This record gives sequence, structure tokens and C-alpha cells, in this order.
Amino acid sequence: METTRRTFLIGLAAVPLAGCGLGGQQQSGGAVSGEIKGEITFQTWALKPKYTDYVNGVVDAFQKQHPGTTVKWVDQPADGYLQKVMADASAGSLPDVINVPPDLSFPLAKKGQLVNLDEAMPEAKGDYLENGWRAYEIPGKGGCYGFPWYLNTGPIFYNKALFQQAGLDPNKPPTTFKEAEEQALQLAQRSKIAMLGQTPTIVDFALYGVKLLSDNGETFVFNEPKGVELLEIYKRMYDAGALVPEALTQNYTGSGAKFMAQQTALTPGSAYDLGKFKTDAPSLYANIGIAKPITNTGHAAMYVHGVSVPAASKNKPTALAFGRFVTNAENQLKFAKISGIFPSTKGGMSDPHFTTEDGTDEARVRVAAAKQLGDAVNYTPVQFSSQMQESLRQQVADAMLGKKSPKQALDDVVAECNRLLK
Amino acid sequence: MTHRPHTPWLFLLPGLAVVLMFSIFPFLNMIVLAFTDADALGGGQFTGVDNFVRMVDDPKFWVAARNSTLYLFGVVPPLVLLPLLLALLVRRQVPGITFFRTAFFTPVIASAVVVGLIWTWLLDSRGLVNSVVEALGGARIPFLTDSSLLLVSAMAVTVWKGMGYYMVIYLAALANVPNDLHEAAQVDGAGPIRRFVSVTVPALRPTMVLVAALSAVNGFRVFAEVYLLSGGSGGPGGASTTLVMLIQQTGTGLTGEVGYASALSLVLFVVTLGLLLITLRLNRKEDLL
Repeated sequence: METTRRTFLIGLAAVPLAGCGLGGQQQSGGAVSGEIKGEITFQTWALKPKYTDYVNGVVDAFQKQHPGTTVKWVDQPADGYLQKVMADASAGSLPDVINVPPDLSFPLAKKGQLVNLDEAMPEAKGDYLENGWRAYEIPGKGGCYGFPWYLNTGPIFYNKALFQQAGLDPNKPPTTFKEAEEQALQLAQRSKIAMLGQTPTIVDFALYGVKLLSDNGETFVFNEPKGVELLEIYKRMYDAGALVPEALTQNYTGSGAKFMAQQTALTPGSAYDLGKFKTDAPSLYANIGIAKPITNTGHAAMYVHGVSVPAASKNKPTALAFGRFVTNAENQLKFAKISGIFPSTKGGMSDPHFTTEDGTDEARVRVAAAKQLGDAVNYTPVQFSSQMQESLRQQVADAMLGKKSPKQALDDVVAECNRLLK
Repeated sequence: MTHRPHTPWLFLLPGLAVVLMFSIFPFLNMIVLAFTDADALGGGQFTGVDNFVRMVDDPKFWVAARNSTLYLFGVVPPLVLLPLLLALLVRRQVPGITFFRTAFFTPVIASAVVVGLIWTWLLDSRGLVNSVVEALGGARIPFLTDSSLLLVSAMAVTVWKGMGYYMVIYLAALANVPNDLHEAAQVDGAGPIRRFVSVTVPALRPTMVLVAALSAVNGFRVFAEVYLLSGGSGGPGGASTTLVMLIQQTGTGLTGEVGYASALSLVLFVVTLGLLLITLRLNRKEDLL
């Protein structure tokens, strides 16, 4: 009896050692060939119920084109998506095709958990815009780990009534960071209205012209003098009340809510946001101004979403074929027309939907954004994790509150990001 | 009828399996991971006590430990005293008292997220409370944008949300206080305050120790209130982050440092266990008196 009990306790102690997640890595390289048939699972990020018909249509079309295939579609809600991917990845049970943005694909690719499309399906590269394909590459190491699915970019929105109230010309919104600072200070001094609802993100640093990463992509370097200069601009604006107090803690969503409540005068956004203003904030919509994004580089920021195929997929040929099918020109165009996003395929933007205005604000924003995407850049480094974002937000807050100098704050956040990168 | 020795185990098995799978195994796993540099996607090596050495030099850990300790001292006294006073109020048999009992208990059953959102709207720089303050000629109070006030606001929410729960515990304990003690004290000329101090409080001391222990453990492990009021940021510069928030920030996400987060969890467990042992000791002393 005693032996049995001891054996049981030893066994119990051994269980966590075996299952504690200290497992090895998977291989992701090599060309993939084989017959397209059998069942695969396709996981999307919060597309139900709005786009249920569209996704079902794509799935049906694929199954018709490839008899003998079955695509099981699973949609995960936006909340907890990251946790779901993380849990599946740790357990080695990721679905065959998953919707992940580049910053989620990077840690998975680094661990060898995603199929390298440059090796597995090199001919696919030619279908997509170069900047879209590049978004799924690991900087300095090459390899592409996702089919770019859709792109987005947008203008800035500003509140003409609040501009007028402060004596600013409602038809001359800021185009550079210098102008933004001047107008923000005027707005704060004359009408005690804040211009912005958020402190600078990593994309703002890039738009200001700050170099984010070293050439080999191995270290962050945005504590360079230009980065400090940008933070000093924000510090002056914060001290003058040109940023809402909540700017120190809130993210993009919180900042958008402040703009909708007309507590801030300017926000970056997209065609999707314009629709939201129209239905949720009609009094704001009546005074909405739309302008080109503020940038010192001449390029707008672009955001990418894509689909990846996990290396652990048991049916890679079908998964790869479906990934390419979902993101092909025809399917992307259909999706773009119902959702307000932009295709990542070559020539996709030449459709009249993206080149012709019909007099509505939505069409104006859509056409301008499509034009903007031609030379837009995906400024968010794939290496920039959620921990790094949090660190940036915290250090910037310390600089705004005067607890640290802008230089010190940036030195600290860069040191933390480089530690996390290793 | 024959009695087989393993029969009781068969009855216990379903519950035991759940506890083993969802409590014991993750707990043991956490202890193992605390000594590794594992990340969210697996991998990692045994690193001995490196995580604990890093903790000593990590300013974020000390800020979080300080905040959790402050939180404990901020919520325990009001959560021991206010529910007792509330229980004394609502134990009276007057018409409509059931409504008040229910009203005081409602925050306990309300979802933490809903409670957090409501309080965020109330305490926002342009929220209801600040609008009233401004209308009365005062300056806006940075409830959610000043790291100290954010912690105090979160403590207020914890106290508001917890009062009903502890009130029910006190109500049950009050029912056990012998009425003849009160009558005897009254005959001896003791007023209501004297009777409260000399009869009610001594009779309720074990319950007060229990409430103190429960609220201390919950206070030290606070997460939802601070997370929701700070929009997940831990306040400006992360200066209001508590230990559980730090564990969440460190260990989650595809790039989460699971090893270090486990080490933080182990420290949290040891401190919480310490709090409970202190309570146990206090209770034993009570029994000896």
C-alpha cells in the first residue's frame, strides 16, 4: 500500500514536469506538395454574424472547386482571440488555417510553428502587393509566414466646430507634426479643448521619421534624437492641456470614444469609423472634417491582416490551397465591397469601387484611402509585442508627468524592448 | 451487505478528478515553471532561482507589491467595520427592510465588468462625479488619471462591492449572539454604544477575524477593479499596477514570459498563505482566551 501511495505521489509530481510546456520546436520549412482533399479547419477573428454569408460562400466555392474537401469554419470572438491562439499554439492544436495579424504571426513563426510560404508556395508571392507580402516576413531573416488578406489605412478626422471655436481655420487641418502642435496649443489655450486622446504609438514614431529598428532587425533604436524630439512635442502639448488626461492610459479604442464624445478635436481613423460616426454620433458627423494623415515621411501607415498555415497542420496541401483561395483577388474584392477594407492583391485596387466617387463621404474616404495605399507602409514592426506596447505607453506616461526626461523614458523603453526581443 | 474499501473513493472520484486537473496540476505546473525561462509557446530551460533574483531588481515588482499591500490595508478596516454597522442596521424588523437588505447585497452579485464600467463612467474626468464637482465650482478631480487616486477609487469600489457579502456573514453571526447578554447589560444600565462595544463586538470577534482574513486575501489579490478603472493599463506609467495585474501583463500574450509570471505567482501564493496562517493563529488565540 505504502509503495502504491509513493508511486502515485512520484507520478503526480512528474506530471507537471512532463506537461509544463518545456517542449521542443516544430519544423516549418520545405516545399509542400500533395493532393488537395480531406478536411481542414479555418479560424477567423470575429467575422460572425456580419460576414457569415460571405465566408460560407467562399467555403462553398472552394469545396466545389476541389471536390473531396471539407472546410470547417470556426469563428472566434474578438475578446480572448489572442488567448485562444496562445492556448492552441501551446497545445500544438492550431487550426489548419488561422487569421492572424503580422505581430501575432511573428512569435509563432519564430518558434517554427508556421509554414514558410516562400518555401512552401513560392509562386503565390506574385499575386500580392509587395508591401502586403513583406508585412509577414521576419525582418533580417526572410521567409513569409502569412497570405496577406486585407489592408487598411485611413485619413484623420477632425471636428470642424471645435476648430472654429478656437479660431482655427476649419478647412486647414494640420498636415505635419509641427502644424499639429501649433494648432493643438492654440486649441487648448483658447477653448480648453484637447486636440488628441492618445500618447504616441510606435506607428507615430515611424510617421515622424524616427528609425525604429537597426538594419538587421535585431535591436530597437527609436531612442534616437528624432524620437526624443517627438516626445518633447507631446510633452509640450500635454503640459498645455492639448491631450486629455486619459491619454496616458488609454489605447486607440479609448481615444476614438473621446473623439466621438467631442472631447477631443482630432483622431486617426478609417472608412469603417466614418460609418460609425454617422450612426452613433450624428452631431459629430455634421461637423466632421476629413484630411490626409499627418506624416513627415510622405507615406501613410498601413495595417495588414492575413491568414497563416500552422506547421502542425495534418493537411498542409489543402490548408495552403485554401489560404491562397480565401485571399485571391476575386474573394478579396467581394469582401472589400461589403466590409470597407482594401484588397492586398495586385491590381485589386483598380476596380471602380476604389477609383470612382459617388458624392458620398464614404466613397470619398474610400477612394482617397485606396490611393494612399499605393505607397503606404506597414510601420508596425512585427517584433513589437503587446508587452512592448505596454512598456512604451508606461514610459511615455512617465515622460508626460515629468517623472523622467523624454530621453530617459525612451532609453528605458528601448532597453526593455530589446530585452524582450531576445 | 459487503463493504468494499474502495467504494468511498469511487464517490469522491469525479470531484477529485476535477480538483486534480484544474487546481492541483496547474499549481504544481506553476511551481515547476517558476524555475524556468519558459514562454507562452513552450520551450525554456531550467534557470534555478534566476526569476527570483530578477524580481528583487525589478522595479515593477516592487511597485506592484507596494500597491497590493496598500490595497490590503486600505480595504480591510472598512470591510471589517462597515458591513457590521450595515448588518446592525438591517437586522431590525421594520417594514420595507427586505428591500434595503436586497439593495445592499446587489453589488455582490453584479458582474465585476459591469461594476467597473459604471464606476469608470462615474469617475471619468468628464464623468458624473466631476460634472457635479465642476457645477459646484470645484476643479475636476483626477480619480482615474492620478495613480494614487486611482488606487483609492479602486479600493472604494472593492469596499462598495464587498459590503453586502460580509453583511450577510455578520447577520448570521449576530443571530447567534445571546439576547440575554444584551438584556443583562441593559439592566446594569449600559447604553446602546456600550452594549455594542462590550457585548456585540466580543461575541463577533471570531467572525471579524474571518472577515478580516477573507478581505485581506481578496484585497491582496485584487485585479478586476484596478484593471477596469485603469483601462487595463495599471494607471499612468503603470504606477497603480497590483501583483495580479503584473502577473497578467507579464505572462499573457504570445510573447508572454510564463516562467517569470509563474515565479511572481509563487510569491503571491506564499504571501497569501502567510496571511491565512496569521489568521489561523489569531483564531487559536481567540479560542484560548
